[in-house]
Amino acid sequence: MNKGFAIDCIGYALFAVFVVLIIPWLANYSGYDLNVYARYLVLGMAAAAVALSWGTAGILNLGQALTFGIGSYIMAMHLKLKASEAQAGGMPDFMGWTNMEELPWFWEPFQSVSFTLAAGILIPVAIASLIGGFMFRGRITGVFVAIITLSLMLAVQLWIISEQRFTGGQNGLTGLAALELFGWSVDVYGLAFYYMVAGCLLVVLTLALLFLRSKAGLVLRAIRADPERTRFFGYDVSTYEVVAFATSAGIAGIAGMLYAMILGFASPTYMGLSLSLAFVIWAAVGGRESIVAATLGGIGVNMAEGRLSDLFFDQWTLILGVIFIVVVLFLPRGLFGLVMDLRIKLESHFMANPISRMNTSLDKHRSETTASQREGK
Amino acid sequence: MHSWLNEIFIGLSLTSILLMVALGLAIIYGTMGVINLAHGQFVMIGAYVAWFLQSQFGIGIIVGLPLIFIAGALLGLAVERTIIQRLYTRPLDTILATWGIGIVLEQLVRGLFGSDSRYVARPEFLDGNLILAGVHMSYYRLFIIGFALLTLAVTWFLLFRTEFGTKLRAVIQNKEISECYGVSANRVYAVTFAYGAGLAAIAGALITPMVSVTPTMGTGVVVDAFLVVIVGGVGSIVGTAAAALMIGEATAWLSYLLSETTARILILLGVIVLIRFRPQGLFPDKVRR
Repeated sequence: MNKGFAIDCIGYALFAVFVVLIIPWLANYSGYDLNVYARYLVLGMAAAAVALSWGTAGILNLGQALTFGIGSYIMAMHLKLKASEAQAGGMPDFMGWTNMEELPWFWEPFQSVSFTLAAGILIPVAIASLIGGFMFRGRITGVFVAIITLSLMLAVQLWIISEQRFTGGQNGLTGLAALELFGWSVDVYGLAFYYMVAGCLLVVLTLALLFLRSKAGLVLRAIRADPERTRFFGYDVSTYEVVAFATSAGIAGIAGMLYAMILGFASPTYMGLSLSLAFVIWAAVGGRESIVAATLGGIGVNMAEGRLSDLFFDQWTLILGVIFIVVVLFLPRGLFGLVMDLRIKLESHFMANPISRMNTSLDKHRSETTASQREGK
Repeated sequence: MHSWLNEIFIGLSLTSILLMVALGLAIIYGTMGVINLAHGQFVMIGAYVAWFLQSQFGIGIIVGLPLIFIAGALLGLAVERTIIQRLYTRPLDTILATWGIGIVLEQLVRGLFGSDSRYVARPEFLDGNLILAGVHMSYYRLFIIGFALLTLAVTWFLLFRTEFGTKLRAVIQNKEISECYGVSANRVYAVTFAYGAGLAAIAGALITPMVSVTPTMGTGVVVDAFLVVIVGGVGSIVGTAAAALMIGEATAWLSYLLSETTARILILLGVIVLIRFRPQGLFPDKVRR
């Protein structure tokens, strides 16, 4: 049981209270605000997905928005079909404009809710497993992983924009119906929907924390510190990396599905460069080492963005850019790192016991050495 | 017969632009390991300086090139001294910091000049086409191809035939020992970064007659330039040139045979496969580090 994990658990409990009780109160239980906050939670989930592969295993995925976007398209395809039931042949309107004769075969299965929900998780996982296996079996690391994931995302985005008759092209999928779950027609402006999103987020984070606490999580942290040494200990490094990469893709897929519901459309910008880098930056601001901190980073930056753009109109992007630079320069471990440093300082200040003081300084030293080793690469 | 000659020329023209943009990036990445995602914004700023000089003072692109280079280099120097300098020990974090710098630069330009697209006229004496074996080659594109080759030659000379180049290569090989011999690594880094940024600004100025100048033009540029640098191999100028030629020609030919989008998708996928099997690039630097 390490310290980081204990902090995560306390943070997680506070976080759950914040999400379940405080946010609905902040939003005044009003429909529009709840919808906005639900969007922040989903973006926080995407940041958690980044932190799971980057902060834990050291895999910097600049194409995280790819699996996020695929999740959103999968959900949007189902909702689009539902909205088009009255049309000739049940075909979405944009297919009619491009003279399609009948519904393409790969659209058919998305008539079913259960298939859609399963596909929204499993297809991103399958894609990530394939590309992860392809990369990590070849011992690709660092910046090369970043370039490969980025290129793949751009290639898929281009394909989606160009194949308008299948995907709606640049416009994306608009005019979606409401999701129906067990006879409950989901109202995205309702309190129930907010709690559904919050529930998804909390369940995903719980599972992810359990995963990180397991032996697999320990091995992943070892890989982050030094992949070569971990390999010499006999661990199959690439398999662990694929698992982390695929898990993070699954989380991004769930976030994407919810995102398409909240905004009521899917667009190629969901798998764009800007959004993908934004995920990474949110995770960095919150603290990449902890998925809860990264989630809070995503929620916090977006909340600030909402407020700043009201106050400063066009200048909020500028302020945001400056904040990112300052965080990277002075808080390399994000706000989470700041909290951890404060905690160590407080402990050594108040603890009279010299032995425990020595231990904390040892801990501090240890975390500094691993940090510098990581940076040395 | 004529069509394939035409494609070769279009490919060369694309190559020259890619090379101009990627060269600055390659030098910065090869020397410091800094992944400069703000490079596209340096290109954009070069384009805006060219537009500003032409619309305010009537200075043409070519006459204004030294000024544009100096503007880009000064901006690069300022960025390096204030931000990049602190990140040499954590190369992956430079991706985030430089993305932030890019956002800030883009937003500043938008605030100053608005988001309308701007147009810059090409020099009059380069109007018209050279017709050779039935292929229409615009003089301006020919000029850019020539200029890209000149930049390549100057950069090579700078790296391999000057004292600064010797110091630079020494620092790349072993920073600590170079410092023991009295080479100021910090100064070398600063000058290199400024030079790379200046090259980006020149590239931005030269492409202005062919594209519309907007604050967002940098984002697309940086991805292509990055692919060229990685495919070429870290720290290898010849590799960068070869990769630019390969990607430029492949884009031209695949666009001709298939479609522009398909060409781009195929090239992205090709780059992925190439990186997977040759992460060191086509022409890796043979130097032991």
